[in-house]
Amino acid sequence: MSARLRSASSGGASSGGVSSGGVSSGVSSSDASDSGASRGGAPSGGALRRGDLRSGELRGRALWLLLAASCLALFINWSLAAPEHLPVPILDQSHAGPLELWPFGADSRGRPLLAYATQGARVVALPAVVSGVVVAVFAILGGLLRAAGWSRTDAVIAGFSEVVSALPRMVVILVVALIVPRDLRGLLPLAVVWAVLAAPGAMDEAAALAHRLGGARFVEALRAHGFSSARIYLVHVVMLNLRPVVVRQAAEVMMQVVFLEIALSYLALAESEPSLTHLDNQHSWADLLSQGYPALVLDGVPTMHALALGLGLVAMVALMSHALERAARAR
Amino acid sequence: MNRWWLRPAVRAMAALALPLLVPAIITWLIWALPGDPASIICPPESCGGGAALAKRWNLHSGPWVFFTGWFSSAMMGDFGNSWRLQQGVPVAELLAEAIPSTMVLIGLALVPLAVGAGGAATRKLPARLDPLLQALGTIPAIVLALVGAAMVELTWGAHSFSTTGTLVRLAAGAVVLGIADGAFSGAVTGTRGLFTRERQQRYVGVAVLRGERTLSNTLPNLTPALAGQLRARTMHLLSGTVVVEVVLRINGLGDLLWGGTLLQDFGVVLAAATMFAALSAALLLLQAVAEIAVAVWVRRCPEVPGQVEAA
Repeated sequence: MSARLRSASSGGASSGGVSSGGVSSGVSSSDASDSGASRGGAPSGGALRRGDLRSGELRGRALWLLLAASCLALFINWSLAAPEHLPVPILDQSHAGPLELWPFGADSRGRPLLAYATQGARVVALPAVVSGVVVAVFAILGGLLRAAGWSRTDAVIAGFSEVVSALPRMVVILVVALIVPRDLRGLLPLAVVWAVLAAPGAMDEAAALAHRLGGARFVEALRAHGFSSARIYLVHVVMLNLRPVVVRQAAEVMMQVVFLEIALSYLALAESEPSLTHLDNQHSWADLLSQGYPALVLDGVPTMHALALGLGLVAMVALMSHALERAARAR
Repeated sequence: MNRWWLRPAVRAMAALALPLLVPAIITWLIWALPGDPASIICPPESCGGGAALAKRWNLHSGPWVFFTGWFSSAMMGDFGNSWRLQQGVPVAELLAEAIPSTMVLIGLALVPLAVGAGGAATRKLPARLDPLLQALGTIPAIVLALVGAAMVELTWGAHSFSTTGTLVRLAAGAVVLGIADGAFSGAVTGTRGLFTRERQQRYVGVAVLRGERTLSNTLPNLTPALAGQLRARTMHLLSGTVVVEVVLRINGLGDLLWGGTLLQDFGVVLAAATMFAALSAALLLLQAVAEIAVAVWVRRCPEVPGQVEAA
């Protein structure tokens, strides 16, 4: 009975919604289900329920993964298919709705909003992925250093974290945007800077997780079982334990970079100045918000479909980030 | 544990160094990048007469002369004139106009955060609301700011730039800042996490058995961590001011920094970034003071009646 209760509570913990709490409870529940479940000698009914829980959880995880992969595939497909320039205006179909011009309708000059969506995807796709990879690498590094027991690096990481967190991120981004030479301007350098600014938090969280795992003692215990160093660090530490933190941090930073691009482009559009994140012939998803906003405040401006598309894309990015996090969450 | 003063001392030193380091690093970066500083700040396709401009902006004699000249003037309250944003207008005037708005905005935005954190600490705000708060926190600042701007425009119309309208825009900006990008949910879950962990400590159980209140026991021990969280949340809000101030047309420091960046006004950006650094330094000092106060409080020998009688 106690085993059954324990397995039920561990399933509940792993499906909780709190991100940071979910990480820690996920790890402990994973340990409990790995050790307690297999060795506890629970009655068959309890084992069945555990099996049901596990298969249900796996199904849920697969669905989240499918959702994240679908969104990512769509964005990558759009970014590859994006036209170099917007199509020639066709004034007859200006402000056409989605039913008149499939799938998203047209802007005030009759150009399809699909072109804006694909160009926007091209602007953000590569920088977002690069920033996610940068943060993931830093998080893995932070966790591995703690697992390896290199305590000397703690002070360096803490110092780096203090320095980085001492200034608002947007201020650093704007200063970088100012001093980057004009021919190197784009979202990529800003995304990398954003990722570096987010890295100490990711390293800290991964290190805390490795510490809860037992740090160097965990590695020693696995060594005593005869595992190779590569297997211990890559499989047991990174894949099985750091994965939730690494993926969540990377997914969050990817989302933040997309939102950063939208914000910077929108602010530039509001001032009728060239964007800091892309070339003048490219259009960001912020253009959709900018076109759609007048429909909110003025009567007779039929651009609500542009606003809906812009907000839909924002929601899709948030959903993709959330789905990635849920798919990688610890058991 | 004997060196309890080390961490606050490092923070205090960092606070003193930050307003000096930020302009120094920006200046160094300008000279470290390939190319002429004057052409980096204002590319030849936008500005003609590079040598004359470099002399006018004091860029011709190298980074050290530029930095020392700028910093010594800044210490006297003279940040020079705007290069492009409002050409010829003293930057100090622009800052004096912008800083109060930003301070009010941040102060107002901290109110919902403080209420949320208080609710989490006293368990008035139930944990089952966390998923909802986190979903709300996913909404980016730009989207919420647009909603806020639309509401202000629809409600106040042309009067949104009157004195009352300005206050309404500040209030709307504060709500946006307080909710967007996970500010409110972060404050609630962060505070709740701290208090939940602390309540599990044995001393809290002993205190409850002695008839004392939980909060009065946990709060002193958590004050440094709460001060750290307050600093992080305020930095987060300061970061968000750029978007909120521009969209809601609030004449603040973020708006000034954005305008300077967009128009490549190095004088304005340098001064605004230094002001942000000064605000960050003030927060660092506040955290250091909180840490020192708690350390002194904890180390003060408590009066134990039994000990007094025995003595």
